[in-house]
Amino acid sequence: MDPWVVLLGWALAIPVIAMAIFRLDRRVDERTVPFMAILAAGIFVAQMLNFPVWGGTTGHLIGATLAVVLLGLNGAIVVMTAILVIQCLVFGDGGLTALGLNLLNMAVIAPLVAYGVLRALKGHEGVAVPVASWASVFLASLACGLMLSASYVISDGAFGIIGSVAIPAMAGWHAVIAIGEAVITSGVVLFLKRVAPEMLEINGLKEAGA
Amino acid sequence: MSRRGYLKAAMGVLLLFAIGLVGYFALSAGSPDGLERVMEDNGVEEGDQLWSAPLDYGGDWGTAFVAGLIGFALTFGAVYLYLKVYLKGGSARRKA
Repeated sequence: MDPWVVLLGWALAIPVIAMAIFRLDRRVDERTVPFMAILAAGIFVAQMLNFPVWGGTTGHLIGATLAVVLLGLNGAIVVMTAILVIQCLVFGDGGLTALGLNLLNMAVIAPLVAYGVLRALKGHEGVAVPVASWASVFLASLACGLMLSASYVISDGAFGIIGSVAIPAMAGWHAVIAIGEAVITSGVVLFLKRVAPEMLEINGLKEAGA
Repeated sequence: MSRRGYLKAAMGVLLLFAIGLVGYFALSAGSPDGLERVMEDNGVEEGDQLWSAPLDYGGDWGTAFVAGLIGFALTFGAVYLYLKVYLKGGSARRKA
């Protein structure tokens, strides 16, 4: 990645995350702390499990939509940030410089898209959850494609991938991977609705508008 | 949710993870994910890392499970501690 694109990633991601942390205050109370922590840990392990999609390529859950459904937008941004930072620092999954861009894609764009779709389709939860999951992954991957192409242009081909290749390739693979995200997220939400409906109520869709 | 409930949830997540890992090693291990595939197809390599991480995700069933366990515990601990400290700060601010 081109250094300027990396800087831009940090510059865009940090204020949104800071805002989410600041606004979290209204939502968190003693009761929700262990719940948020366990959800974050659950998403961490879910991200390790790749599933095959097509032609030797695999995908794995991002989990942003699940986090938004259960914790609301600010909670999801904070939780996704924690997961990505641990993956980067402890497990070397994604370099330190790329962390800003990863944060922007998966801790900012993905939850924002999920939140937007969930709000737009409020009252149609059966449709809203899968659509939000699919869109969050697809748009985050599109953003990643744009970053790769911007890197290519700015660095004169030294970094990144030319846009006419990067954008369709990222979008194409992730359109399929996102179906996996939609199936898994919907499954988990339906399951929780059945066994622990109170979890869906702490959140979320009801309060998220505030 | 009760303390017992959280314990059950944590066990449930780890059990599903243990089962999921079997499928992962049967079907997906060694195959690139979406971004890795696009980078491979275009001959882009990751640059030198500024930071070398102390752990990785492991290469077989056992080590990957341990890595997942450590990640689970670390993520849980980090978010839990952070929020506890944060809440303390918040209530201090509200009192002030």
